Amino acid sequence: MPDIEWVYIKINGIALKVPKGEMIIESAKRIGVEIPFFCYHPRLSMKEGGANCRMCLVEVASRMPDGSLRKMPKPQTSCSLPAAEGMEIETDTEALNADRRGVLEFLLINHPLDCPICDRGGECPLQNNTMHYGPPTTRFIEEKRHFPKAYPLSQYVVFDRERCIHCARCTRFTRDISGDEELNFLWRGADMEVATFDHTEYNSRFSGNVIELCPVGALLSRPYRFKARPWDLQSAKSICTQCSNGCNIKLDYRLDRIHRVNARLNEDVNEEWTCDKGKFGMDYISDESRLKTPMIRRNGELSPASWEEVLYLIASELKNAEGEVAGVGGAYSSNEDIYVFQKFMRETLRSKHIDHRMGPNFQSYNSGLLKRFGCPAMGNPIAELEDMKSTLIFGSNFVDEQPILYLRVRKGWRFKRNKVVEAAPQGLISEEIRHVTQFAEVSLNYKNGTELPLAQGLLAALFEDKGRPLGEQKLLSHLSGKNVAQCASETGVDEKDIRKAAELLATDKMCIFAGEYVTHSPDATAILEVLGDIAVLTGNAGNLNVPVSRNNEQGAMELGILPDMLPGYVEEQNPGMNTEEILSACVKEDLKALWVMNTDLVKEYHNSDLANSAMDACPFVVVTALAITDTAAKANVVLPVHSVAEKWGTFTNVERRVQAFCKAFEISPDIHAEWKVFSDLSSMLGSPMTYADGKDILNEIVKSVPTFAKCGPNTLGDEGVILNPVAGGKE
Amino acid sequence: MDNENSNSITPETGERTSCKSEGRFSPNAIAELDEIITHYPNKKAAMLPALWIAQREYGGYLTREAIREVARLLGRPKAEVEGVATFYSMYNFKPKGKHHLEVCTCLTCGCVGAYGVVHKLEEMLGIHLGETTSDGEFTLSEVECLDWCEAGTVIQVGNKYFGHVTKDNVEMVLEQLRESDDHTSPSLADDIVKILLPKGEPKSKVE
Amino acid sequence: MAELKLLLKYRDVPGIENIDVWESCGGYEGLKKALTMERSAVIDEMKISAVRGRGGAGFPAWIKWSGVLKHTDAPHYLICNGDEGEPGTFKDRELMLKLAHQLVEGMIIAAYATNTDKGYVYIRGEFVEPAKSVRKAIDQAYAKGYLGRGILGREDFNFDLYIHMGAGSYECGEETALMSSLMGERGQPRLKFPHGALPVDAGVWDSPTLINNVETYSCAPHILRNGGAWYASMGTERSKGTKIISVSGHVKKPGNYEIELGTPLMEVLDLAGGVIGGKLKAIIPGGSSVPILPAEKCVGVNMDYESCQAAGTMLGSGGFMVFNEKTDIVILMRRTAEFYAHESCGKCTPCREGTRWMFKILDRIVSGSGQPSDIDLLLNVCDQIDGRSYCPLGDAAAWPIRAGIKNFREEFEYWITHKKSPIGGDCVPPVPYRINPALIPLS
Ligand SMILES: Cc1cc2nc3c(=O)[nH]c(=O)nc-3n(C[C@H](O)[C@H](O)[C@H](O)COP(=O)(O)O)c2cc1C
Ligand code: SF4
Ligand code: FES
Repeated sequence: MPDIEWVYIKINGIALKVPKGEMIIESAKRIGVEIPFFCYHPRLSMKEGGANCRMCLVEVASRMPDGSLRKMPKPQTSCSLPAAEGMEIETDTEALNADRRGVLEFLLINHPLDCPICDRGGECPLQNNTMHYGPPTTRFIEEKRHFPKAYPLSQYVVFDRERCIHCARCTRFTRDISGDEELNFLWRGADMEVATFDHTEYNSRFSGNVIELCPVGALLSRPYRFKARPWDLQSAKSICTQCSNGCNIKLDYRLDRIHRVNARLNEDVNEEWTCDKGKFGMDYISDESRLKTPMIRRNGELSPASWEEVLYLIASELKNAEGEVAGVGGAYSSNEDIYVFQKFMRETLRSKHIDHRMGPNFQSYNSGLLKRFGCPAMGNPIAELEDMKSTLIFGSNFVDEQPILYLRVRKGWRFKRNKVVEAAPQGLISEEIRHVTQFAEVSLNYKNGTELPLAQGLLAALFEDKGRPLGEQKLLSHLSGKNVAQCASETGVDEKDIRKAAELLATDKMCIFAGEYVTHSPDATAILEVLGDIAVLTGNAGNLNVPVSRNNEQGAMELGILPDMLPGYVEEQNPGMNTEEILSACVKEDLKALWVMNTDLVKEYHNSDLANSAMDACPFVVVTALAITDTAAKANVVLPVHSVAEKWGTFTNVERRVQAFCKAFEISPDIHAEWKVFSDLSSMLGSPMTYADGKDILNEIVKSVPTFAKCGPNTLGDEGVILNPVAGGKE
Repeated sequence: MDNENSNSITPETGERTSCKSEGRFSPNAIAELDEIITHYPNKKAAMLPALWIAQREYGGYLTREAIREVARLLGRPKAEVEGVATFYSMYNFKPKGKHHLEVCTCLTCGCVGAYGVVHKLEEMLGIHLGETTSDGEFTLSEVECLDWCEAGTVIQVGNKYFGHVTKDNVEMVLEQLRESDDHTSPSLADDIVKILLPKGEPKSKVE
Repeated sequence: MAELKLLLKYRDVPGIENIDVWESCGGYEGLKKALTMERSAVIDEMKISAVRGRGGAGFPAWIKWSGVLKHTDAPHYLICNGDEGEPGTFKDRELMLKLAHQLVEGMIIAAYATNTDKGYVYIRGEFVEPAKSVRKAIDQAYAKGYLGRGILGREDFNFDLYIHMGAGSYECGEETALMSSLMGERGQPRLKFPHGALPVDAGVWDSPTLINNVETYSCAPHILRNGGAWYASMGTERSKGTKIISVSGHVKKPGNYEIELGTPLMEVLDLAGGVIGGKLKAIIPGGSSVPILPAEKCVGVNMDYESCQAAGTMLGSGGFMVFNEKTDIVILMRRTAEFYAHESCGKCTPCREGTRWMFKILDRIVSGSGQPSDIDLLLNVCDQIDGRSYCPLGDAAAWPIRAGIKNFREEFEYWITHKKSPIGGDCVPPVPYRINPALIPLS
């Protein structure tokens, strides 16, 4: 952190100390002075496109070099005015009120007065500011600007051009944040309009954010359109379940229906963004297809049954199975569910055969990254990514695999001039798709399947560079004697580019991401070793990140849905079977019962034939699920369980941050929390579990799992808490 | 213009569909652009020149393919290129008549008779401002000050200025143009591209 | 004080667009002299001359020059503002068309003084002929070793000069918008001090940038050749040297006249042969952006920055428009408003919405639907734009309308009550305004 230089200023006569260069609109907030605005947004660039609405005008007197105070003749925009020593600002004078009235009058001459049928009504900055500062009537008697009413910009966003006030928030968003640069202004002057190229579809993974950014009802959500008025909605703090990044969101609902999802601020995770998968993907919660009662297979058909009946049946089947039972899944369940599940399997049923991984690689957790760096997944917290001087994105379709991490890395490039090196297989990088390639300093476009030699090439280049300290023999051994030129020809990448990339990586504050092209590769372990060497050699040991991608996959790892690890990565002396072995055992009829934990196994498992035959062969399959999936359709018993909206619980996100989500509503009393199912069964099977609620369970986790020691229900707060490091330390 | 009722129309930009479907710059145009790019610290700065080249290459107006091609050659987003192009009034997005009569009606020209010239031209050509004659010979527009006020009324036609035009002598302008194949939109663009290049042509000229 | 030819001295010399002829008139002497001096000494000479920017704002040139020279690290850029778009101004056009070498020489001197090795002449797209002349001058200067590497044998002085053509936008004459346009963006203005850096510190591509008007650069060869003190001996106390005034409208001999600053306004009118077609009604002395002066206020005003300001108008870019008694001021104001509405870049609210609204009101008045409240409304809209817009284009749109109403209020009232022109029959009604025709196909 560079030292902050403080300056003394006065706002409305109140003296205060603020960081030099802070925008006055922000300084005013410090003393509770509100300045109205439309276009200002602290995360959007000021330099290119800001300060255009002129709503935030203030009167300024600045200190001259000789110490005298001179009032600037014109009012100034506080959103772009950096605080300087001795400045005196007035925000509430008669003249300023006239200016604000003027700006609002100008904005309203072309803005249709259709608030009663506008989705933004009730939470519209233009509406609010007009009520507060605006003129009571209009003097504009000419024809307003007309456009065809709303037209769809994309699957999710609909655009009403008449309402646009040209604040450039949306256009700046696509340039400063999402990077797709799909929106821009056409024409000029009063003819200006926001548009995509040639009015083609707005193609973005983050389009939903512009709906929240737009200060009027110009950009609206198609799914939410005309569905509700904001004052009719209740809101619950939640966590997005669509990927591992763990965006903080608000579920806006009425009765038991989700109407929309908005971002919830968390500076350390998603800031205030969401991706479209999350923003528009959460409606499964109140979908018609939700399962509302347990189902039992009778005469080959699944039919409804009571909880008593199914639990009795399951208990007796599991008793018969006597340890020949296995469990798979868990990446979509809460930490509490996961913990109780593994406890139920290990202690009540005495089975070690549990795994959440869906393949194709099932390395032992006893080796590799965990052993070397003390963490099998991400080494850097998300917020740290924007300060990495250089970042290597290796074998990843990053924007799709890790949308929020992508935004952080891009932010570092856009606003802090950080460098990014990309290594991606040839088919992935195309001219049309604007993702990492668009801002990468070097793009290494390798032949499919040549991840290992490429990583070796980078390592070799670092070695050959005489300026770097030579590493140990061990590192050299991973090179298998190859030099840069050989690696270049194997991978089809220009040798110069490899060297240039290595040059960029040789810095402090460098981090590496390995994506699915690495983790799904048969060479995964070897590639990760070499990438680990690069991290070590450049002095960035621990900055190797292999992020998980499913909702609570990280939690499943941390809390031991693994055949060889107990919660907190405590090694299991005699490991059980991994997913692949479990499914093969089912096929061989070596297992009597299989529990599938809220996972569509036949879809997700990398080898669907194996998954299907396992399901068919296993005599008794229990599936917990939200709806009848392909997997549930094959089960003997299906149990309806709560979604994220129906209970309190926690998830562990990709950077090992534990975050709580709150209950919004109940859909049916016949849907149970997943942990409740396990605890009820356990009690029936003679090992009573007496949890009153999720918090009870988390308290037990905090006590028994050292990595969770700081994650008590009352300490998580709104931002969540990062887990303690795994004991054993790093290389 | 006012189409209030429907709520899911995609705006039509039908007229901008191009005649040249798989549009690409000619090798000579690429050579020109490559050289112009070297004048600037980055490719993006060559946007205006690239659009001028495109306006010439695509027959005097910017089709959507032209925008796409410029975006591709400069590595910029298409929406940005379109946004830049539409900002400037000299880029066309629709075909214009062979001779585009742009009459300055701004302050001094307006006071010394430009409106009379416009009315006379409307009468003689049988079209209104902004329209093109049915034979495709002339498009008539009004423009802002051409900054040759000493010679008002001034008319710009492609790369040529006509000065001291009055409603009585404007017929001569039309006659002169009817006989000529010069002063079209592409010839204006071509002149501008040549101005951008030292000695008027790229060093590595492609024949 | 009267016509005094300095920049225009060789305007009519046959073949002056050729480098040999220009050299035979003393061309490139100023440059050669500059190259014998320290860079800072060249700037000192500019300081002594006290030459002020001729693009409109009248900012002392030397301050910008030394602001760029003080940066020693980043690359520097030199820009010539040849976007001349101000209605009524056509001096840069002539300076480029006929005296391109004078400009090129001035820019090379500036490049040397500011230690800059890359420059751009930004010329408005419509100026094909003037730009061709500049092209020719640059090519000839390269051939003679005035441009390129190691200029005139000075190993430490390289300067490449390029032309950048605009594409139709008045706003691109505003210096920060010009920089946007040069960088390949929409021609919208950028943050200015105190909100952003000064161009001399971080202009184009975030590098120190010197931007001056064509006429400003064109002064440099003369100042270097004859000395700053010689230049400063012309003009008034605070407005030194000469200024080219573009005279147009209802005068006998419209054209560019170079005068010593401080020359009485009425003398300029006489130079141009006086009013034709009737008595003098009003003069706009500095381009469309400056307030209009009614005939009775023209007397006693001198053509220098201070005197014009005292008279409630501005010297601006020297676009001197003369209107006789047959001019309908309301129609003139309507056209002025149309110009600004058409040229507003659209970035900020007051200018985007306010200019179009002003135009709509004025258009309504001249089509016979004016209301008595319209005059105060117009004045009010002017107040709401003036000083509130992002760049001075908004101010420039408000000033003339406000002055028009202030000085000719009764003509507006006449239009509103009688639904016709106070001038009578001769006045041709304007053609109906059409919005951007490219927008029409949207159905
Ligand atoms: C709306 C607007 C338009 C302008 N147009 C021009 C122009 O066409 N030519 C010009 O030289 N300066 C123009 N200027 C002034 C420039 O911003 C700038 O002050 C000038 O180029 C600086 O050069 P100088 O110091 O040599 O005058 C304009 C300013 C504004 C606000
Ligand atoms: S659509 Fe909304 S966010 Fe975009 S410029 Fe218009 S008002 Fe601003
Ligand atoms: S918020 Fe400051 S100008 Fe818009």
